[in-house]
Amino acid sequence: MKAIQVKQTGGPEVMELVELPVPEPKANEAVVKLAASGVNFIDVYHREGRYKVPLPFTPGQEGSGQVVAVGSDAKSVKIGDSVAWTATLGSYAEYVAVPADRLVPIPPGVTDQQAAAAMLQGMTAHYLAHDTYPLKRGETALVHAAAGGVGSLLVQMAHNIGARVLATVSTEEKAKLARQAGADEIILYSQVDFEAETKRLMDGKGVDVVYDSVGKTTFEKGLNVLRPRGMMALFGGSSGAVPPLDPIILTQKGSLFLTRPSLGNYIATREELLARSGAVFAMIASGTLKLRIQHTYPLAEAQRAHRELEGRKTTGKLLLIP
Amino acid sequence: MAAKDLCTRESVGAADECIGPSSRNLSDDDNRLRKRDKGTIMKAIRVQHTGGPEVMELAEVPSPQPKASEAVVKVNVAGVNSIDGQFRDGRLRTPLPFIPGQEGAGMVTAVGPQVKALKVGDRVAWSGTLGSYAEYVAAPEEHLVPVPPAISDDQATAAMMHGLTAHYLVTDAHKLKAGETALVHAAAGGVGLMVVQMAHAIGARVIGTASSDEKAQLAREAGADEVIVFTRQDFETEVKRLTGGKGVEVVYDGVGKATFEKNLNVMRLRGMLVVYGMSSGAVPPVDPAKLSEKGSLYMARTTLAHFTATREELLARTSALFSMIADGKLKVRIAKKYPLAEAAQAHCDMEARTLAGKLLLVP
Repeated sequence: MKAIQVKQTGGPEVMELVELPVPEPKANEAVVKLAASGVNFIDVYHREGRYKVPLPFTPGQEGSGQVVAVGSDAKSVKIGDSVAWTATLGSYAEYVAVPADRLVPIPPGVTDQQAAAAMLQGMTAHYLAHDTYPLKRGETALVHAAAGGVGSLLVQMAHNIGARVLATVSTEEKAKLARQAGADEIILYSQVDFEAETKRLMDGKGVDVVYDSVGKTTFEKGLNVLRPRGMMALFGGSSGAVPPLDPIILTQKGSLFLTRPSLGNYIATREELLARSGAVFAMIASGTLKLRIQHTYPLAEAQRAHRELEGRKTTGKLLLIP
Repeated sequence: MAAKDLCTRESVGAADECIGPSSRNLSDDDNRLRKRDKGTIMKAIRVQHTGGPEVMELAEVPSPQPKASEAVVKVNVAGVNSIDGQFRDGRLRTPLPFIPGQEGAGMVTAVGPQVKALKVGDRVAWSGTLGSYAEYVAAPEEHLVPVPPAISDDQATAAMMHGLTAHYLVTDAHKLKAGETALVHAAAGGVGLMVVQMAHAIGARVIGTASSDEKAQLAREAGADEVIVFTRQDFETEVKRLTGGKGVEVVYDGVGKATFEKNLNVMRLRGMLVVYGMSSGAVPPVDPAKLSEKGSLYMARTTLAHFTATREELLARTSALFSMIADGKLKVRIAKKYPLAEAAQAHCDMEARTLAGKLLLVP
């Protein structure tokens, strides 16, 4: 089969298109023929070596496709099933072997491309809005990077819950996208100080929750815009890691709550994985959650996909099509 | 005199030696007593410079007069809290000299012109009002909570900082549910004993930690399902064993530094660590990534004021506590009552952590 392989870590150029044997399923696995695989920043971190993976490896964490072989203990799927997954390395390929209990069925009304696009970002937005801090109608959320992959989905979910959404973005173009997603207020952080602007928009009251994937450059000010007992949900660090925090700062700023969630802990059991993916797929099928799949690349152009992702030239989801 | 010297002596002698003979003379002086009754001069504990328990002196100071929205209360009992020690030794700052003490119960003796609901003779309790180690204290009306007849002054005082803290911990910091498991550190302490009772009443499984078998017994009587004597058992190992490796939904921790790292290892995925105090010292800076690595954990570093910020919330919590006490569902354990003059000894005992339950001063 064709697959992308990284033999040594580095820039986009280290991703080579190679011929590899089609994987055989282990007892608990199924082999899936890929329809689409999602491109995510974590793939870049693996490629660069920021997150360590034994070499050589095939990048890619998520995708969708059709089951073509099942291992002897794989009871949850059968050949021919349409499935999607996340957190399985090796998805930039024509075929990938995935633990069967990590495969979720794709329901009618959801395309393979939508399913691939929704696994990591859609389920992340879902756990943030529904579990990390279960937003309620009438509450206010500040969403950083609101036009980003997770951000734009999170804005839609928060809006659908009936929460007021304050969205930070870097450009007018992204502001438009965030507004379309349902943001009530846009903060162009390249032009205004988001702390001052949030306080102004809130009449000095704090927001109930800050969803922050930016990290280093936004964290401290984020604490300043929370109401007493508010929640800081730090789920990424696109600007760098947040340095160690003196817990007493949480007291001083109003008995604040801090969490640093990651998707794996929110889909830890098969039940939860199925419930969460099912909920996201239902939103897609009903039209209440809109994905922007605007960039599809042939598998052979994985390098270009990474360059465009890293260059922040894209908005919306990037997919590789084997 | 060094704090250590003071604290290792016998209770009564130490207090006398520390505070000096004036305290005995005072209490026998009828003339001065009469003056005090007129509200001009009162006995109070005064801190002129920060330090060990010995810096708390019994002094005669002018009785407070109510400001417009204040009431003056005759203090029947004042509660002793670890925060008093933090003000006394300067970890928490307040202008010097000052009268320590944050809470108590007593009777209103005077009201300012803008006081709306309270009147002279009302029984009240309060917390968050510095100056309570005294015969009289002036408190803003919004700090004062009416005390129902079924509740004694001792009970009302214990229901303030300790009771309110326990209440917000189990109802708001992490809303504990039946079937969940909570780890309660210092389970025989003032807050701990109440958290254990409330958690048990909710139907949660309670794992407590305590320093001695005697305290472990108290925690068990309060409703703890399991008690770990941390002086001879590693609490991390024990909690893992007791939860079949799963960990607990929530840790309620007033200990701070000494327990922090291990706390992160005994929580379930997405578990909540509530740090509400630091009896062992402050928790050092925390790398947020650690919360992710240990299972998308939450942490909060809470303080009571943010959970009683509105009058409505303060009254809702105190009335819930008073009901639980009146119904016998919440038992208040008074560890020891000291004459006001023995405040230093009370601090020695509090800091030695030999006593279980609430320490009170009686002016």
